[in-house]
Amino acid sequence: MTAENPIISLKGVQKYYGEYHALRGIDLEIGAGEFFSLLGPSGCGKTTLLRVIAGFEDVSDGVVMIGGADMEGVPANKRPTNMVFQSYAIFPHLNVAQNVGFGLRKRSDLSRADKRALVEEALEMVGLTGFGERAASALSGGQRQRVALARALVLKPKVLLLDEPLSALDKKMRDQMQRELRRLQRHVGITFILVTHDQEEALIMSDRIAVMFDGEIAQLANPQTLYRRPVSRRVGEFIGVMNFLPGTAMLQKSRDIEVQVDGLGAAIVSQEQCPAGIAGGPVSIGIRPETLAILAPDEQTERSVAHGEVVEVTYYGDMTYYEVRLEGTDKLLTISMKNFVGREVLARGANARIAWDARSLVVFGA
Amino acid sequence: MSGGKGKGGWLRGYAFVYLLFLYAPILLLPLFAFNDATVIAFPLSGFTTKWFGELAQIEALQGAVKSSLLVAITSAVFATILGTCGALAATRHRFPAKRAIMGFIMLPLVLPEIIVAVSLLVVILRAGLDTGLWAVIAGHTLICTPFAIAILNSAFAALDGSMEEASIDLGETRLSTFRLITLPLVMPGIISALLISFTISMDEFIIAFFLSSSEPTLPVYLWSMLRFPKQLPAVMALGTILVIASILLLTIAEYFRRRGIARAGGKQTGGFL
Repeated sequence: MTAENPIISLKGVQKYYGEYHALRGIDLEIGAGEFFSLLGPSGCGKTTLLRVIAGFEDVSDGVVMIGGADMEGVPANKRPTNMVFQSYAIFPHLNVAQNVGFGLRKRSDLSRADKRALVEEALEMVGLTGFGERAASALSGGQRQRVALARALVLKPKVLLLDEPLSALDKKMRDQMQRELRRLQRHVGITFILVTHDQEEALIMSDRIAVMFDGEIAQLANPQTLYRRPVSRRVGEFIGVMNFLPGTAMLQKSRDIEVQVDGLGAAIVSQEQCPAGIAGGPVSIGIRPETLAILAPDEQTERSVAHGEVVEVTYYGDMTYYEVRLEGTDKLLTISMKNFVGREVLARGANARIAWDARSLVVFGA
Repeated sequence: MSGGKGKGGWLRGYAFVYLLFLYAPILLLPLFAFNDATVIAFPLSGFTTKWFGELAQIEALQGAVKSSLLVAITSAVFATILGTCGALAATRHRFPAKRAIMGFIMLPLVLPEIIVAVSLLVVILRAGLDTGLWAVIAGHTLICTPFAIAILNSAFAALDGSMEEASIDLGETRLSTFRLITLPLVMPGIISALLISFTISMDEFIIAFFLSSSEPTLPVYLWSMLRFPKQLPAVMALGTILVIASILLLTIAEYFRRRGIARAGGKQTGGFL
């Protein structure tokens, strides 16, 4: 879990709240200029980890280094990090410019005109040019978020910490802010650490993602690896949709492994498709819905074919999701299909020929 | 909405009698304060403001007003400072036996004032000290503090904790954060606590009666006037002024309390009005 040129380096970080073990030995390096996400369900410790980096929580054990300096005993106001809070924490008694300029108050090296210019620049960066005199209470949710961003970025921190910054916005606004945050991060080149429970958000925005469960990092990878090669069923289930079928692995002398998948048949998979390593015997095989396809009646394929019956159809406009019961089993597979022109949407009860590809399987210990 | 019939009508009647019972005696105050007769009795005999003029002539009254203002302002300030500390402890910190300790702090709210007054008197005399306005201030601070805590609790609880964290994150210290963020945001609550404490102290009689010694506060002086029937209409006038001032102050206090909660973005909870 290393990064080139790390700006943040955590070693063996533990955090207890009384008896509760919130962080169980976190080792993590985050590179300068990275867009990094901490992803996990609520209570997994991702926010605690962010607050440890910010300096709002002490560590029970372990080392936190930022920019090569040990942060032990360094309070939040002396750390080269700034935070965008979930509630945005816009000071309601100050106007927008006063909010954005709040952190510049103590900068005696800057003249009043310099500070004003920096505030203007920060507001322009987040698309709020001319909003300086507005009252904080007169802002919409999206605008408050931008003010919070400008307020943190105006200090040019080494690391910007974002605690679920988009969770309070509606879907349209969220989609827009996701793109804007990405663009902003590339523009300023500052390391962003985003805490989120939304896997899609993490996939869209991040260079790398750490998936956390129960105070531990379950997997740290870039979005593609995380999606295609989850190290455990739990990660696979948390990121997107994944089908699981039982099967049996037979170890061979070569690097390849033969697995017998219930309802599908035999397949040869590579070592990379067993991210957690594998022993012979019962296994669980993960398959993403979009790697499967239902063939048209006369369609030929070089891929392997299985048979089943459509039991549920969910039409999304651009996509159709099918639940298909595999022939000879009680296993249901979710299959997603793009709705091309000329491709018919099948009805419930239809027979389906399913094309699948051994290269898209992921094998987990049972 | 039952058109005055059945249960609704009965309840409406009950509510009316209830309000009459509460406020009729108070409404009699201004009635007789403006009545042109020395005797407090119906029928009323005409309109006058001479009783208010007479009040201004009484020198001892001015002394009592001064004493009362001194006591009320001082105990309001003390109660609010103590209340701020108490509310901070209650909303921002965790410590052992917190509920029990907070319970004890709020106890004077329901403790009979006569008990407080007598115990304070005994303690002061046993300690070989003299009673006087300082003793009244001590007693009033004691009974006003729980009110101040209750008001300030809702002010501090309505304040989003991440505001303070954001300020620290932006480079301020805990102390400067309190000055720049916390204090301005809970200021309406503080003003409200000051005004309510002031009003309670201004109107308080029993403790002041036991402990004020030779410097009576306004309610104590008012009570002493009752012995002279000729001064009764003037007492009514004085009472009228006190009632109006009290209602005015409490209304302003509640206005500030609500504005504070709205400002900190919280929901309306608690309060005495």
